[in-house]
Amino acid sequence: MMLFLENVNLALTAIKTNKMRSFLTMLGIIIGISSVIAITSIGASAKGAVTAEFEAMGSSYLYIMPNWEMMNTDDFSMNDFFTSEDINALKARFPEMIKYAVPYVSGSSATKVGRTDANLSILGVGANYDDYNKTLLMQSGRMILDSDIRGRKNVIVIQDKMAVRLFGSKDAALKKEVPVTLNGEQTDATVIGVFEEKESAFAGLATSNTYKCYMPYSTVLPAGEEYFNYIEIYCDPDTDIAAQGKSFTGYLENVKGKDEGFYTFESAESQMEMINKVLGILSIAIGAIAAISLLVGGIGIMNIMLVSVTERTREIGIRKSLGARTKDILTQFLIEAMILSVIGGGIGTLFGIGIGKIGMIVAGTQGIHMSLVIEPLTIIIAVLFSAGVGLFFGLFPAKKAAKLDPIEALRFE
Amino acid sequence: MEVIKVCNLEKIYKNGNIEVKALKGVNLTIHQGEFVAIMGASGSGKSTLMNVLGCLDKPSSGNYYLDGEDVSRLRDDELSYIRNRKIGFVFQSFNLIPRTSALKNVELPMVYGRTAKQERRKRAISLLTDVGLGDRYNHMPNEISGGQKQRVAIARALANEPPIILADEPTGNLDSKSSVEIMEIFTDLNRNRGNTVIIVTHEPDIAEFTDRVITFRDGNIIKDELTGRGVASGFYGEVSGK
Repeated sequence: MMLFLENVNLALTAIKTNKMRSFLTMLGIIIGISSVIAITSIGASAKGAVTAEFEAMGSSYLYIMPNWEMMNTDDFSMNDFFTSEDINALKARFPEMIKYAVPYVSGSSATKVGRTDANLSILGVGANYDDYNKTLLMQSGRMILDSDIRGRKNVIVIQDKMAVRLFGSKDAALKKEVPVTLNGEQTDATVIGVFEEKESAFAGLATSNTYKCYMPYSTVLPAGEEYFNYIEIYCDPDTDIAAQGKSFTGYLENVKGKDEGFYTFESAESQMEMINKVLGILSIAIGAIAAISLLVGGIGIMNIMLVSVTERTREIGIRKSLGARTKDILTQFLIEAMILSVIGGGIGTLFGIGIGKIGMIVAGTQGIHMSLVIEPLTIIIAVLFSAGVGLFFGLFPAKKAAKLDPIEALRFE
Repeated sequence: MEVIKVCNLEKIYKNGNIEVKALKGVNLTIHQGEFVAIMGASGSGKSTLMNVLGCLDKPSSGNYYLDGEDVSRLRDDELSYIRNRKIGFVFQSFNLIPRTSALKNVELPMVYGRTAKQERRKRAISLLTDVGLGDRYNHMPNEISGGQKQRVAIARALANEPPIILADEPTGNLDSKSSVEIMEIFTDLNRNRGNTVIIVTHEPDIAEFTDRVITFRDGNIIKDELTGRGVASGFYGEVSGK
């Protein structure tokens, strides 16, 4: 232990004596470790943000759709798609599970009130949609009701920002007419409610003059059209969504006489899995690059340690003449190599956190707001790993130093 | 007491196919408390003998008894231990560790001897004070004169209180005034501390400081005689040494 502290001191002195050289040697380790830290923290932050996002939306929804890969595109029948009867059958079969099930239909339209125009992103919904989708908060007026759907009424619930833009205030928008083009036909929809969307990390990604709004799904569906591609379902949030999805699709396949796997579903869970998979692949790819730079950094350390051993041959001879054992010289140079790489690892960690912070700021300017997640375990592993790199690449030079013959070392000029 | 005894000591250097016999069957006994000079031209084998005596090199054949223990076949780490505990080296070119203070240099043998830090520091300061450098222990080797460097080296050699001091041309790089001062320190170590001091030199007036002069030529001892001081010391009457 005593000799260990002595060696740490020696190593620090040696590193201080050759500041420039030591820094350049550390650079490989610094780059490797900082990229690992930056990537893992940004990855963890993104994961955290995505998870928070899905949790805010309520993770109990799923979409059922035909599995397009299984469909014979040359010879598909209308029976492959869904009808209102299918939804009713589903509801009847799973009354406990299904809280909400409607055809998922959407459209977009330009609108103009007076001289102000805006783009609408229209989603067809069922009654009391705001009970299920937790990101939407009603501000004034009311949400779409069952009567609106049955009557195919031309009513619309608009976003608060749009109300302010087109009509000056939230309350002024109520009962006003908004021109909308649906399925090629121009109609005037009456504003019955105004909602606010909950702050989202990704809110900034939407373009500035496109606004979300909701209309009865029956109004959005073309007149006389019976078939649709997607069913949107909200389940009891306490159930296993993936298992529910399987039983829903299985039931539909049964009822409609399709092969197993003909229908598929997407849920918050499966979407999250997808995103996490992509993030994971990205992390592995950059991790591999970081590993290569650590390897290069390690070789740099080995190189400089070999130079250092040669430069200090005479010193090694003196130490041996004073009673240093092979082991003493070995540990001296090993510790020097390890300290070199651990300092590199430490600087790399700080740099990595810095890069992560900059990444968060850049994402912020793009409208994605996340907070940096720094996992202490990653830092511990990074520092231990850099010590390991020092140990591995320092071993050969240290052995060379320890094996020097004292007389030859003392004669070395 | 025979502190050093070598019997038929041979050292052969192989350089490719050429063999050079540096020591050709040397026999020598040195008692505890002797003050000896080893003289000879360069290449006479005196430095080779010094390296073997200092456990830096192993003989090719023959035996070397240090304190009665045959050390000629010991392993490297066992030799390290002996160098640390029983022998203090002083070199011609000082061999202080660069960029390391006088104090740290003197502490070094105690570091390898596993002496506790406080104890180490105390002893190093006391040793440096003894050689007249009590006020310069924080100086780096490049900040002090040659004579001062050699004093630091002597203090370092004494760190673990070894019975034997081996000095290889200790005055070779010094002016005559410093040389005399250094030789006086060696004399003091021998007379007052009881160290066995062995000095390799080619300067007769340096050899005159010692009690006994052993002369080498071509790997053999050709002369082994007492100096005026040696006769006057009365030491050799008691032990009836050579």
